[in-house]
Amino acid sequence: MTGFFEANREILLFTGLTAVKIAVFLGAVMGFTALLTLAERKVSALMQDRIGPNRASVFGFAFNGLFQPAADGIKMILKEDFMPERAEKLFFTLAPFFALVPALALFAVMPFGDYVMVFGCRVQLQIAELPLGLFFVLALSGLAIYGVILGGWASKSNFALLGAMRGAAQMVSCEVVLGLTLVGLMMIYGSAGLQNMVRSQGGLLFGFLPAWGVVYQPFAFILFLTAAIAENKRGPFDLVEGESEIIGYFMEYSSMRFAAFMFAEFVEIVLVAMLAATLFFGGWQVPYLYETGFLFPGGAQLPLNHYLVSAMQVGAFAAKTVFFSWFLLTVRWTLPRFRFDQLMGLCWKALLPLALLNILITGAVMKLPL
Amino acid sequence: MISVKKVDNKPLNLLERVYLLEIARGIAVTAGHFFRNLINPEGMPTVQYPEQRIPLPGNARLRTRHRLKIRADGSPKCVACFLCRTACPACCIHIEAAEYPENTVEKYPAVFDIDLSRCVVCGMCVEACPEDAIAMDTNELPGGALARPDMMLTKETLLRDIPSTGDPSVKGASNRLANEYLKTRGEQ
Amino acid sequence: MPTLTIDGQTIEAAKGTTLLEAAQQLGIYIPRYCYHPNLSVSGNCRMCLVEVEKAPKLVTACSTEAAQGMAVLTASNKVKAARRDVLEFLLINHPLDCPICDQAGECGLQNYYMEYSLAKSRFNAADKVRRPKRRAVGPYLALDNERCILCTRCVRFCSEVTKTSELEVMERSDHSYIGLKEGTALDNGYSLNIADNCPVGAFTSRDFRFKQRVWFLKKTPTVCLGCATGCLIEAQHNENVIYRLTPRPNAETNTWLCDYGRMTYKAVRAGDRLTKGVIKNGQIDLKPALREAAARMDEARRSAAVLGSPWLSVEDNAALARFAKDALRTENYCFDFNCGQGIKDGILINNDPAPNTSGVKPVKAACGGITLTELSRRIAAGRIKAVLMEARAAALIKDALKAAGPRLIVFAANTGEIPAGAYAALPYASYFETPGTFVNYQGLLRRTKPPVEAPEGVKPLWAVVNELASCSGTSLGLDSVEETLKGIYIK
Repeated sequence: MTGFFEANREILLFTGLTAVKIAVFLGAVMGFTALLTLAERKVSALMQDRIGPNRASVFGFAFNGLFQPAADGIKMILKEDFMPERAEKLFFTLAPFFALVPALALFAVMPFGDYVMVFGCRVQLQIAELPLGLFFVLALSGLAIYGVILGGWASKSNFALLGAMRGAAQMVSCEVVLGLTLVGLMMIYGSAGLQNMVRSQGGLLFGFLPAWGVVYQPFAFILFLTAAIAENKRGPFDLVEGESEIIGYFMEYSSMRFAAFMFAEFVEIVLVAMLAATLFFGGWQVPYLYETGFLFPGGAQLPLNHYLVSAMQVGAFAAKTVFFSWFLLTVRWTLPRFRFDQLMGLCWKALLPLALLNILITGAVMKLPL
Repeated sequence: MISVKKVDNKPLNLLERVYLLEIARGIAVTAGHFFRNLINPEGMPTVQYPEQRIPLPGNARLRTRHRLKIRADGSPKCVACFLCRTACPACCIHIEAAEYPENTVEKYPAVFDIDLSRCVVCGMCVEACPEDAIAMDTNELPGGALARPDMMLTKETLLRDIPSTGDPSVKGASNRLANEYLKTRGEQ
Repeated sequence: MPTLTIDGQTIEAAKGTTLLEAAQQLGIYIPRYCYHPNLSVSGNCRMCLVEVEKAPKLVTACSTEAAQGMAVLTASNKVKAARRDVLEFLLINHPLDCPICDQAGECGLQNYYMEYSLAKSRFNAADKVRRPKRRAVGPYLALDNERCILCTRCVRFCSEVTKTSELEVMERSDHSYIGLKEGTALDNGYSLNIADNCPVGAFTSRDFRFKQRVWFLKKTPTVCLGCATGCLIEAQHNENVIYRLTPRPNAETNTWLCDYGRMTYKAVRAGDRLTKGVIKNGQIDLKPALREAAARMDEARRSAAVLGSPWLSVEDNAALARFAKDALRTENYCFDFNCGQGIKDGILINNDPAPNTSGVKPVKAACGGITLTELSRRIAAGRIKAVLMEARAAALIKDALKAAGPRLIVFAANTGEIPAGAYAALPYASYFETPGTFVNYQGLLRRTKPPVEAPEGVKPLWAVVNELASCSGTSLGLDSVEETLKGIYIK
């Protein structure tokens, strides 16, 4: 028995560590997502001079609506789980999983910190260190379409089908742009591994400017954000749902099945926020913070303990994620919904040529003797 | 003839067509509200309605929950003439008339229900009343309820005296009959 | 044949025509209170004043006969002023009772005030002359002297139409009031016509009192089925409830309507209205009741009898005949009714209490059958085991029924109609709820138009007969009213 542990020490350690990382990171993401459902309502309320949900209370303590996600969850669980009589039973049941599982799987490659020493072991703060992490992201986010299409088609409802068709067209179009905007970054960093890309952003440009992706590729950042929101089916590109017109591909869903679709949408917000932070805003990098502590451009130093540095890095990543999540909510509640032809025009006539142009210029600049 | 109104939509200039600056301006507005309200929630104009209330203006144009006025002897001023029911655009008033055996006013409402869930608070009933019997001066706002029966005002809940409004009112066509009847009863 | 002009239009009026009637022929309406086309001319209300050229004063159109060369003006300023002033006089002492007055909405004073006056009152409401308020006069009427304008239509109705003269103008001059002659009660069988005739709210119906405001009432023209006279009436109803019946004056049959006829609507929503089947005094659902009734008829088969009814419409009688011939295949069916018809009291009420004695004759002509006496004989002889009929028709063969006691299966609208000892009763829609064809004593076709809907589950009699037949396995194919009348020739 001990022989088995001795022989497989590496693998067991790796598995255990990964399990712990999954539990901690995914747990944090899920918790944050739940809060995001409340945040969406609170943010929209505050920017409209309202107060938002503040009535759900436990023993008379409402904490300004903090229990609202729990109340929503209880409500969703208690609702009737309805399935249309003529629905495709299998796919109708599968669709919410297709929406939720790829979104959650994507967090596997998200670097939420550099590394941390635990009992003399160097633990990477990333669940899976894939060398081609970015392609994993693009591949899995492509899978999210299946949830939409299956949900819309299996419902056997015209509105749901219409929503699914819109969704499919929109996501296919935007995925192309999404991929192309990231080519420039890969060219600059010379890598498609997310952890490598973050590490590459640790340096300084001109001695003081953090060498973040957004500094090299500001244009790509805007294109990326636009395409990512569209891919995510959030406002102003939420025509897949279009409450006032067609309700959406999940029209026939109720109860927790519907909640799964909704939850997937919020998980994707977190995902886009993390991707934006990781690719363009240095991920877990804190400006002027190195492994041993702060080293400011003027020469001033502030040596710091390894654990403090790691905590600050993780904190920075979290702060960036929170900021971009807020930003996405703000965009959704600021801009009016696009028309479908406008969205397609934007994708194919503006974003796609601009993304190609961006690659061209990036390549040209890199080849120039600077 | 359909009249056509021509709207001069200014063509967008390049900066506006790129849209980014406009988006930034839009976000500046919404984010401005967001942070202002986040820092200073008391500054929000929203009123937490059931707990907080803005005092009602209390002027003659204010229309609040209905009441039926009563005469000095406690009987309803209403004579069930159905004019309010006739004027009501929401058809929310239900009246059943009955007859007094002695009283020269003859007619009174045995049933007088107002379905607040259908009432549109237009005040037509008050306008129509020839007896000055129905009024919307209780200063109570017709609110929501958890069950439909709670929205039903019956004669018992409607009959109410508000002395500050100069009750009992002496206006109305049947007032003379009522006074005479009271006088004859007083003599007996 | 004098020729005259009214408001510039020339008319050749028959001799003896009054100006008001001549104007009416031209389509010119002259307001009136005391004038009534079916009562004698009184000329006391002065509302119909018109201007006749070269006449020194305005004349009353209702009492002035048309004469050769007259030039009448009905809308001159002088006439308008006269109307306004007459109305002002009438309204001086009229109480402010409109909110509690049943006449409001169909009141002559209200209507004419809106059309011809609209003047503000110049008199103090407190100085109005007081008179006795409402009191019951007779079983159907309430009288309020304060509202009366002394047009005397009621007095003339009682003295000229019913010739009972219960009412009179008491006292004289400005003390005069309408009063009941001592020792009489206003119960002449036609008293509710007085409420109709009264142009104001002095006489109101005690039955209709405070039930509904008149402006809510919808009006459906239909036929009174109180007797063989077949008066044309108007059912006034709202929200599926009939509130009163009023006559539709016509030259052939009726100007008025008797009190009995006016009360026939009450059976529709009476407490004993039958909405379910009855088997041996116990109410059960219609379906099982129908099955039971069909089983009993089947049992008797050729010894079963079907009796039509002069209270039922032609359609329903025809359906019963089809049932006897095609479903039971019995020879014991009878659609032979005779009654000495004629106006009993000289006004409206007929000797024949059933509305459709004449209307059953075409059914008999088409379907044959035995005579009523033959049927009675067969029943009395015990050859008949079960009889299917309408409840009220049982009275026609009651001696035979008493003698033999066959099983009675009756159609009844109200439980009060069901004859004692009936085995089963089946509900059917009354003719206020379903259309029916009748023929009155004059041979005039009378079709009812239903003002209200039948209670849930209650169907027309012909439809019930159709279901009864299908319960015993025969399809009569009676799917519509038209189907029942196939082969029946009504002149």
